[in-house]
Amino acid sequence: MQQSNDDRVRIADAAFPKPFSYGLEFNAPAHGTWNIVHIGFKIPEAHQIYVCADNCMRGVVMTAAEMGELRRFSSVILEEDDMVHSGRLEETTIEGITDVLQSLEKVPPVVIVFPVCIHRFMGCDMDYIYGELNKRFPEVKFVRGFMDPVMQKRSTTPDQRLRKAMFDIIPELPSDGSVSVIGCDMRMDDANDIKKLLALSGKVIRDEADIATLDDYYSLGRAEYFVCSYPAGLLGASALSIRTKRPYRYLPFTFGYDAVDEGLRSLGTDIPEGFFEAGKKRCDEAASVLKDAIGNTEIQLDYTAVPRPLSLARFLLERSFDLTAVYADAFDPDEQRDYEWLAANHPDLLIRSTVHVRGRRPSRSENKILAIGQKAAWFTGTEYFVNMIEGGGLYGYSGIEKFLRLMEEAYNEPKDTRDIIPRKGIGCASLV
Amino acid sequence: MKKSYRILPVYTGDVSGFASALYELGGMCVIHDPSGCNSTYNTHDEIRWYDKESLIYISGLNDIDAITGNDDKLISNIIYAAEQMKPKFIALANSPLPYLNGTDFKGICRILEQKTGLPCFYVQTNAMHDYSRGASEALLAFARKFITKLPKHQGSKPGANVLGTTPLDLTATAIDISDEYDLISNWSYGTSFDEVIKAGSADINIVASSSGLATAEYMRDELGIPYRFIGDYLDVRREPSKRYIVGEPVTSGFVAAQLKRRYGADFNIIATTEITEGLLSECDRKCHGEEEIRTALADAEMIIADPLFELVAPKEAKFIRLPHFAMSGRLYLKEIPDLTKPEEYYHEP
Repeated sequence: MQQSNDDRVRIADAAFPKPFSYGLEFNAPAHGTWNIVHIGFKIPEAHQIYVCADNCMRGVVMTAAEMGELRRFSSVILEEDDMVHSGRLEETTIEGITDVLQSLEKVPPVVIVFPVCIHRFMGCDMDYIYGELNKRFPEVKFVRGFMDPVMQKRSTTPDQRLRKAMFDIIPELPSDGSVSVIGCDMRMDDANDIKKLLALSGKVIRDEADIATLDDYYSLGRAEYFVCSYPAGLLGASALSIRTKRPYRYLPFTFGYDAVDEGLRSLGTDIPEGFFEAGKKRCDEAASVLKDAIGNTEIQLDYTAVPRPLSLARFLLERSFDLTAVYADAFDPDEQRDYEWLAANHPDLLIRSTVHVRGRRPSRSENKILAIGQKAAWFTGTEYFVNMIEGGGLYGYSGIEKFLRLMEEAYNEPKDTRDIIPRKGIGCASLV
Repeated sequence: MKKSYRILPVYTGDVSGFASALYELGGMCVIHDPSGCNSTYNTHDEIRWYDKESLIYISGLNDIDAITGNDDKLISNIIYAAEQMKPKFIALANSPLPYLNGTDFKGICRILEQKTGLPCFYVQTNAMHDYSRGASEALLAFARKFITKLPKHQGSKPGANVLGTTPLDLTATAIDISDEYDLISNWSYGTSFDEVIKAGSADINIVASSSGLATAEYMRDELGIPYRFIGDYLDVRREPSKRYIVGEPVTSGFVAAQLKRRYGADFNIIATTEITEGLLSECDRKCHGEEEIRTALADAEMIIADPLFELVAPKEAKFIRLPHFAMSGRLYLKEIPDLTKPEEYYHEP
C-alpha cells in the first residue's frame, strides 16, 4: 500500500504503520502531551541544562517557566561562533555547564544535559564532554539527554532516549519483591487491574509517575520486575531489564479482551476466580449504557489519548458506535491485527493526519461530535471530549469500564476547549 | 559566561519573530527545521494561533536530507502545500542545520517562483538571534518584495504607516495616531496584505519597535518616506538614574518618555534585545545575557520590567511588573497593559 499525501485516507487504503508521506507540517494548538522537559522533571532534585540556539531554547525554557520550575532549569546558548572553530562546541558546552553548576546555590545530585541537533551534525565528542564534566563534578550523576528532533523520523525519538537515559541511573539494588511501574507519565489510576492484582498479591508498587524523592527514584531498582505501560518507555524498560537482569512486562492500555487477559496473566500473580469474566461483563454493560446515552453521535479519536488507538477503534465499532475517524500520523506496529480487522470490517473508517498542511483549515461539522483526545477535539472543534493522554493510567477491565464512563461524562458535560487544550502537559503543575 | 543562563529564559527567537511579523499578511511561511519551532512558536510566542488562521509550517527536515542537502524534497513539499492552501506569497526561514550546511535559500526561492508563480522570498534567520532580528528581517524582506512608490495619500491629514507592531512587543497596546495622521498601514498586527501593500503612499513612517526600524530606513532610502519614533521618545531628555526599565529599546524608551513627561521621573533603559543602534539615549545601555543584566541591575532603586526579571533583580529594589510577551510568553498574558496608559502600570512612589 502506498503512503497517502492527502490529509486523510480510508483505512482499507492506508499503508501500515505509516499511512502518510511526509510533507510540510502543521502543528495543532493542542499541547496536553508531555515533552522532554516535563519528563525530565520526574527525577526529583534533578537539574536540567539545555545547550542550544535561542529559538530552540525558547520552547523548553518556557515549559519549565510555566511549570514554575525555572530554579531547576538552566541554559547554555549556542551562537554562530560555536560552529566555526574546531572544538569550540565542546568547549562552550563544557564551560557553559560548568558555569551554570558553579552559580547554583547547591550543586544538584543529578543533572540532565540536553545537547541538540547541532552537536550531532558537527560530530561533537560527547564522551569527551561527559568525561570532563565527570572530572569536574564527580559528585553529580549526569543523565545523557538529547534534544535532536532531526533524528526522530528515522530513529528513536528524543522522548524515548531520554526515558532510557533517566533509567540508566537507577541502580541495581537487592530485590525486595516489589514491582516498579516505569515509562508512563500518568500515575496508575485506581481503575487499573495491574494495580488491583498486584495489591491483592501483597506486592508493593513503586510508580515512577508518583515518586517524591531522589531516594525513592533510586529505589525503583529494588523491583523484582518492572511494568512499562507506555510505548515511549519501552526502549528504557528493556535496557533497564537487561542491565539489572530483572524481567519486565510491557502492558499498554488496550481494549482487546484477549490482550488484557494475556497481559494480566503475565504479571504472574494469583487471579481471583471469575475476575476476567466479571470484568468483561462490566465493560459490556458500560458500553451498552454508553450506547444508550449517546446513540449515534459521531465519535472521532486521536493517538495521543490512548497508546492503542486502533484497539479502541475496534472496540467501539464492534459495539456499533459511530466512530468515523482516527487521527494518527503513524501506528505502533503492535497494532497490526487491529488495523487488519478494521480494514476488513470497516474499510471506510478514516485515518486522518494531525500534521498535514490542510489541518490549518479543519472542516468542522455543526453536529455534536464526541472526541477522544485533545487533537481530535481541536480538529472537530467540539466542546465534548475526553481530556486524556497516554491512557490516563488506566488498564484492564477496570480501566476500560472507567474509560467508557469518561466518554459518557464528556458527552454530557461540555468543556472549555479553547482554555484547556493549549495548556501544556496534562497533570503537570501549570502557572498559566 | 555570557552564554550561560542560570535561571532567566531567553527571549522569543528570531524564527518566531519571522512568523509573528508575517502572520497576518496572507503568505505561507515555511521554517526549514526538523521539529519544535512550530510548536514553540504557537505555544509560547503567538497569541493568535488558536483563533486566527495563518499558514505557518515547518519542513520536517530529517538527518539524511540535512546531510545530503536534499533541497528537491523541500521544494516539492512547498509546491504541494502552495497548491493546497493558495497563499499570496511564500516566505522561507532558516534554522541551525540548513544554516550550517549553507542551504541556498535564495536559489530555492527562484525555483519556487518559477514553479508556483507566487512571489517568494527568504528571511535571514538561523535560530541564534532574538525575535526583534527575525521580525525586522521579515518586515524588511516583505517591503523589498512588495512595496513600491505609490501616489501620495490624499486626505485631510498626512498618511502614516506604523512599523513593528507585532504582539510580541505590543500585545495589548493600541497605537492611536489619528490626532495627527491617517493610518495607511500597520506592520503588522491587526492588518492584512491588502493594507500593508499601500504603504508606499504614506507621508511618514512611525517606528513602534526595533523590529520596524530597518523597514523604516529602507522606505526612507528607497521611497523617500521619512520616519519618526513612537512618542518621539528620543527627543525627551532623561537624566542618569538608578531607576531602570528593562526590555526592548523602543517600547521601553516610549514608556520612559511618558513617565518623564507625565511624572518627571527619570528612568534609564537597560536594553536586552538585539537591535539597539540609534535607539538609546546617552543614559541608557545595552546588555546581553543574564550575567550582564544581573550586574547592570545591581545598584537599582526601582525597576520596571517583565516579572521574570525579578529573578535577577536585587531584593532591595522596588520592582514594578510590566509583562512583556516576548519574555514571559503567556505566563502573565492577562496582566499585559496598554503601554500608552502608564497610569495602569506605574504609580509614583
